Amino acid sequence: MFCVVILIEHRLLGNIMNFSLLRLHPQMLLVSGFAIALAIVLSFSIGDLKHSHQIEWLDVVGEGGIVLLTILWQLFLLISRPSGRVTTLLTIGLCCFMFSSLLDALDEFIHYPEQAWLPLFESVPAPFGMILMTWGLYQWHQEMLTLNAQLRRREADVREHGRVDLVTRLYRADYMREQINQLLNKRNTNFCVALVDIDQFDAFNRRFGHPEGDRLLREIAELILMNVRQSDLVCRYAGDRFILLMPDLPLKRARQQVQQIASAVKHLAFKTGNQAVFHTLTTAVAAAQENESCASLLLRVNQRLEQDKQYSGEKQRAPLYHAGR
Amino acid sequence: MRRYITQADKFLPAHGLAACLVDLACQRQVNQHKLLRGTGIFREDLLRPDCYLSLSQLMRLLSQFQRLMPGHDSAFQLGHRLFPDFSAEANAIRYSSHLSQALRLLTRFRLQLAPLLFAYRYRHKGFSYLLLSDAVGMDSRQYQFVVELYCCLLVSASRHLLGQRMPFWFEFPFSRPRHIQEYEEHLGLRLAFDRPAMAIRFEEKWLSQPLPQASALRQQLALQQIQASRVVRYTLVEAVSGCLRRQRHGGLQEVADRLEMSPATLKRRLKEHNLRFSQLQDRVNMQEALYLLTVQGLNNGEVAEKLSFNDVPNFRRACKRWTGLTPSELRALSPGC
Repeated sequence: MFCVVILIEHRLLGNIMNFSLLRLHPQMLLVSGFAIALAIVLSFSIGDLKHSHQIEWLDVVGEGGIVLLTILWQLFLLISRPSGRVTTLLTIGLCCFMFSSLLDALDEFIHYPEQAWLPLFESVPAPFGMILMTWGLYQWHQEMLTLNAQLRRREADVREHGRVDLVTRLYRADYMREQINQLLNKRNTNFCVALVDIDQFDAFNRRFGHPEGDRLLREIAELILMNVRQSDLVCRYAGDRFILLMPDLPLKRARQQVQQIASAVKHLAFKTGNQAVFHTLTTAVAAAQENESCASLLLRVNQRLEQDKQYSGEKQRAPLYHAGR
Repeated sequence: MRRYITQADKFLPAHGLAACLVDLACQRQVNQHKLLRGTGIFREDLLRPDCYLSLSQLMRLLSQFQRLMPGHDSAFQLGHRLFPDFSAEANAIRYSSHLSQALRLLTRFRLQLAPLLFAYRYRHKGFSYLLLSDAVGMDSRQYQFVVELYCCLLVSASRHLLGQRMPFWFEFPFSRPRHIQEYEEHLGLRLAFDRPAMAIRFEEKWLSQPLPQASALRQQLALQQIQASRVVRYTLVEAVSGCLRRQRHGGLQEVADRLEMSPATLKRRLKEHNLRFSQLQDRVNMQEALYLLTVQGLNNGEVAEKLSFNDVPNFRRACKRWTGLTPSELRALSPGC
């Protein structure tokens, strides 16, 4: 039955949901299927079917609904998480809960003889499962703390997965604008904003293709992340332009930090095929001022960047510099 | 020879915008079946060099693309990828000696390379002004997308041809979008929004600068490959606008005669583009008035006379109807502000 549910879901929802993690959990699927089978076999082996006029349909809908939703929760759990302790605890907990509620639902159809021991199965696994799930949720909390630490510098204190850029896995410009606005609303102007732009990204794309360009963006994003402080935030602004928010940092130090990023990128020997291609950045940094809006701050940094680009455009344009292996 | 194409004529090469768009969607993990659903285009078609699409097919594909693509930058990404493709038309442009020659060729092969917008170019005191118009009859969302696409294409292609950034001034007929960062990054900072018409301004000195990739021989080779029979130059909307420009205040009857069809057919064909004849008349007059007022700086009387209005109040009323602004307010919008 579980498999059928999965198959149907796969057919219907394959377009909107990603089931690629499901194949990591053959054991969990087995456990779940076994629980369902056990409940059905147990109840049919002990009791007899009721007549249709004895069935309370309202109860059937209510209790059956709980079973179906529990199965659905398990499915969501399994398609969203890789395997591990938290996943196992939560799944087994849900399985126990589902087992009890399935027995509960089945006894609407089945009449049991007096002094049967089945009610014991109906009431014991559910609280046991709840305890397992509670333990699992505590473990999940610990896990999230670890993951949050991993996401530092990519994320401030708001999580909005819809705003993550798919190429670099950084948040997009609107997320950054909101963060800057929040700071400005708190009358906190003790922060700097920087833009960094990859030089000749266009030429790189033309020469090596856009998939390679996307990969370059991802690598440079990683490199920028490695070169900022824990409290900084990095987002993708647009195209080959990244934006950095550096709270509690004087302008001079911020410039230094951006310079460090530029020199790190300068030394990155990005490999496409057998070639190493080197890149330079154009950067612009500005400190926030009193009574300034987010838009005017961003405009100021952008203008500065544009000026620098113009200047570097007037210089002899360095061709894409690459070296053999 | 046909002089224009209607919605259903299959004249647009599939290896241009359509192929580029499907390619980009695949890279962004968009479901291809959903993208192509209902367009009558199959993936195998895109592999054939002689596959041609109709305007309505292309528009349907474009609106599905717009709906399915994540993020705000897909129009700009397309703009960067479109030129140069491997068509003979693009090659002919690529090996031009000057930008002015490239622009001339673009006008000639516009329907193959950039079918959805057409431009009318004015020149004044060292500046060129391109007034862009919708060549298909799009809704406002599609129009904004297509404008983003072609503006980015212009910036990217000119940079590719010149080997350096050439400054453009853009005026958009819609309000400042939320994803302004994409405009700043891909088009530069010389942007103005909420303008009466879509206009692009650039200095004419760039047009005569020699291009580093110029090659007369290769260009000739490319031009020889282009099938003469396929070179239709206008969409119906553009053909009608052209007639209206040539004979100002020409009515439905005159235009229909020129295009060799009955007025009823012309009306019906325009309706397929969701346009009325009077809308096109207004657009042509508005663009002309805008140029005369804001660029040439003529006064109301002179503009009214040039556009053959009977008197100035009539012209003022028309202006208000086209743009929501009076002529003096329009004049205050002179470019570069």
